[in-house]
Amino acid sequence: MMNKLKNFRWNHYINYIVIGILTAVFSVISLTGGHLSSSMLFLLEKIAISVILAVSLSLVVGFLGELSLGHAGFMCVGAYLGGKVSALLADSLGDGVLNLIISLVVGGCIAAVCGVIIGIPALRLRGDYLAIVTLAFGEIVKSLFQNTSDESFGGALGLETPRFDKQYLFIWAFLLVLLTLAVIQNLIRSSHGRAITAIRDNEIAARASGINVTKYKLLAFTVSAFFAGIAGVLYSFSNYTVQSAKFGYNYSIEILVMVVLGGMGSINGSIIAAALITFLNTKLATILTGDLAVLQNFFYALILIVIVVYNNAPALKNFRDRYNIQVLLHKISGLRKDPSRITDDRAKWDVVPTKIEMNEILSIDMKPQNTRADKPDKGNGGKR
Amino acid sequence: MELILSTLINGLSLGGIYAMIALGYTMVYGIAKMLNFAHGDIIMVGGYTIYVFMAFGNPVLAVAMAVFFCVLLGITVEKVAYKPLRGASPLAVLITAIGVSYLLQSLAQIVFGSANKMVMVYDFGSVSFLGVTLQMSAIVTLAVTVAVMAALTLFVKYTRLGRAMVAVSEDKGAAQLMGINVNGIITITFAIGSALAALAGLFYLLKAPSISSTLGAMPGIKAFTAAVIGGIGSIPGAMLGGILLGMVECISYKITAIAPYTDAIEFSILIIILLVRPTGFLGKKRREKV
Amino acid sequence: MKLTKILALALCAVMALGTLAGCGSVNYAENNTEYVIGVSGPLTGSAAMYGVAVVNAAQIAVDEINAAGGLNGVMFKLVSTDDMNDATKISTNYSSMFEGGMQISLGTVTTQPGLEFKNLSADDNVFFLTPSASGDKIPENKNGYQMCFADGNQGKVAADFVNANYANTTIGVFYKSDEAYSKGIYDQFKANLDASVKVVETTFTDANATDFSTQIDTLKSCSFIFMPIYYTPASLFMTQAKDILAKKAVYYGCDGFDGIDNIEGFDIKSIPQAVTMLSHFNSKATEGPAKEFIDKYVAKYGKDTLNQFGASAYDCVYAIYGAMQKAISEGKEIPVTISASDLCDIMMEQFEGGYTYENGVTGEKIAWEKSGYVNKSAIQYVIKEAK
Repeated sequence: MMNKLKNFRWNHYINYIVIGILTAVFSVISLTGGHLSSSMLFLLEKIAISVILAVSLSLVVGFLGELSLGHAGFMCVGAYLGGKVSALLADSLGDGVLNLIISLVVGGCIAAVCGVIIGIPALRLRGDYLAIVTLAFGEIVKSLFQNTSDESFGGALGLETPRFDKQYLFIWAFLLVLLTLAVIQNLIRSSHGRAITAIRDNEIAARASGINVTKYKLLAFTVSAFFAGIAGVLYSFSNYTVQSAKFGYNYSIEILVMVVLGGMGSINGSIIAAALITFLNTKLATILTGDLAVLQNFFYALILIVIVVYNNAPALKNFRDRYNIQVLLHKISGLRKDPSRITDDRAKWDVVPTKIEMNEILSIDMKPQNTRADKPDKGNGGKR
Repeated sequence: MELILSTLINGLSLGGIYAMIALGYTMVYGIAKMLNFAHGDIIMVGGYTIYVFMAFGNPVLAVAMAVFFCVLLGITVEKVAYKPLRGASPLAVLITAIGVSYLLQSLAQIVFGSANKMVMVYDFGSVSFLGVTLQMSAIVTLAVTVAVMAALTLFVKYTRLGRAMVAVSEDKGAAQLMGINVNGIITITFAIGSALAALAGLFYLLKAPSISSTLGAMPGIKAFTAAVIGGIGSIPGAMLGGILLGMVECISYKITAIAPYTDAIEFSILIIILLVRPTGFLGKKRREKV
Repeated sequence: MKLTKILALALCAVMALGTLAGCGSVNYAENNTEYVIGVSGPLTGSAAMYGVAVVNAAQIAVDEINAAGGLNGVMFKLVSTDDMNDATKISTNYSSMFEGGMQISLGTVTTQPGLEFKNLSADDNVFFLTPSASGDKIPENKNGYQMCFADGNQGKVAADFVNANYANTTIGVFYKSDEAYSKGIYDQFKANLDASVKVVETTFTDANATDFSTQIDTLKSCSFIFMPIYYTPASLFMTQAKDILAKKAVYYGCDGFDGIDNIEGFDIKSIPQAVTMLSHFNSKATEGPAKEFIDKYVAKYGKDTLNQFGASAYDCVYAIYGAMQKAISEGKEIPVTISASDLCDIMMEQFEGGYTYENGVTGEKIAWEKSGYVNKSAIQYVIKEAK
């Protein structure tokens, strides 16, 4: 037992522990009569939903390396179908836990099926094209639900769903956050996860190494969509109406911002960014009113650009290596970075070239020994 | 007959605008190999510039300023946001482009507020033709688009600069070895694309004299759809794709039963084309390099 | 060791969940020094004109009541939040107002966010009387009332008008198929229409759409066009259609048309066709309470945002004030720190008990049905005649 504990890698499980403790603390406060205000409960529910969305999107964007702009579309499917199921079940089962679980399973599974459907183009398309296909998917889903009849999914009025007891819903939401983390984090740390990151780093090399690219791409899309669907069902339980206008392109981008700000390929980063952005959005909504509200979007856009350019610009590579948060943290804590330690959470996706050009491979052998000849000479051709 | 003619003209003029935007997309994509998500928002900037300079009452001046300002903006965006990322992962470039798009939208909202602004650029009036009343602006749009497309095709085929562009789009490395200034060519491409976007902004204002910060968002995405349908990187392809999409949209709006699903139909076409023929109708097949 | 301790703690916490139940509500108004009225509306975005009008007009009413000594010496205070016509903002807006001491509410200005608001307020038992959220489902719960006509009612009145004047003709309809307000009116309109009237309908979905040439083309032979939409797309449609439609054609809108003659850069006089709307307020009134309201509003906020939404909000505040006054005169106590729930019970008793608000800006005798719908007469207001 003691030995096991010694080998226990704290940094692997720190996120479960922190979230678990916070959930427990809030639950105790909420349930022992220390009244949590409804704005606090709303905030906690929203944070849980955002975290699930960000972590699941992170699997596709950060680890598989494909840009999905339709994450809100999967959420929409989950919210409408899960919401519909819960509304139908509400008569016989009430709006209790059983109803919640059944709706979650249904909503999540149907969203996962959509994930498979969108995963299929992902096999043929890469990068920009795939991003556009996912965007198109999100818009199609939104438009379909918007124009349903009043009886089926509420159409323009939105679908009315039963709302779960406010004092308890956030606890369930955070348990689902833990479930999401458990599934996705374990997936990433398994050999399957390494296969997924291998596809991101070099698809052709991965294929050549015998990785079943088809299978892993579909797996990543399906798991990601499943949890987006779960987040959607949670949304339907935390709101009285599901109105499809919410699940547009803008919301997909908001989730993407969380993933990017948190650091691509960093689950913990996504969690923190999701919680922070959701918190700020809620707080700023009451502070920044009128035309000032747009300042919020302005700064998000600015931060997004700065972070991506800073993290990825080839010209800034040396600068990045010298001054980054990890180095800073190590300086503060006085610890030296242990180079032998594999930090498998943090994928170095910016370091690994996504595609090795054929001529680069060839030139390795043909490189002259004289390093000076390596430098491009400017304009003076063959002269010495 | 009347129905067919009017639908045709409407579809053609809407398609003309899409084609104009798609031309910009396709050129930038062909040469810089990136999806410039902010392209749609350049249209919006063009529209607002026209709105501001219409205060002087001269439409020609306003349009000239819009083109100038958009070109300047296009070049700035390219230099500041995209150039540092040349050689980085395509994902990073795409996300930056989304960031730029949002930045422009929120900036416009900060400057001009969120309410729609009305601006009447020029009233071309309307003509009666075979018993159908046609908006002259629609015909002007179509004519200008065709002219621009023809000019661009000639430019790319017969000028030194144009051929240099083709060379860069075929193989950047080889083009550089041949003494072509690749960065310069990319900048020029962005400038041309932005000028086209400014014109698209003008056409939108001619069609509907109202502008808001989200003017370019949806047309931008739809024009990308058009560029993909026609085959990305191909100038006549952008024209073809734009007009096809414009026609589909108009016809779909005409049929009551499917009208609410028009957007869904257009995007479904995109997905189907990408799955069946990712190179579009006129695009060239490229082998992916290892 | 640490881990086991933490696990044990977590386990305790989870067990605690099972045994303890949530506790009752808190009176957030216990520190109030004024009666707090809350409202959520679009203060920015494409429907901003409505939200701004409601907040301005309600403020005028509150100021007047306060200047006249308030309710038995207790002043009123208006708290407004911006929802940008987006339902997802409501949970934050509502809870921040409720926890800020809101005791009674004007609900939301528009329908879509109102669908969320009505349920949240029902949970906490907060009374609301909305000036303009016209959705049929808005007053569904016991605590909700409307000052404006419900969508279904508007659609029905419009259909009656068409049946009487345009029997055996073909009329056009232009609506937004994915918006609760627009579709709600149109569905009722269609249901009440005579079989002899043929309908050509066309629609749009993109909230930012500016180009309606296809839709105009569909409707170009119609001489009567029913448009249950908001003023921004309507004005764009009219601008683009002015040379295409017959000069004598009539545009017929509902309360969403209100304010169409005040849009910056859009001159309604440049439209040759006639524009008519269904309203409960005449913004060109030359006498009566409407005239007084117009004068007060224009003097304070200018005529740019003057519309029936504001008028309705003005009436809402006075109707609430009147009902509270009546309740006090009947022996009820309404202390300044009364909880929203207690005040709601008092108000519901008044509104269900046949409380009538008289001489309002938007109607002479305004009463409410048990269902929450308003009971007053509609006026058909001609914004402009055909040239």
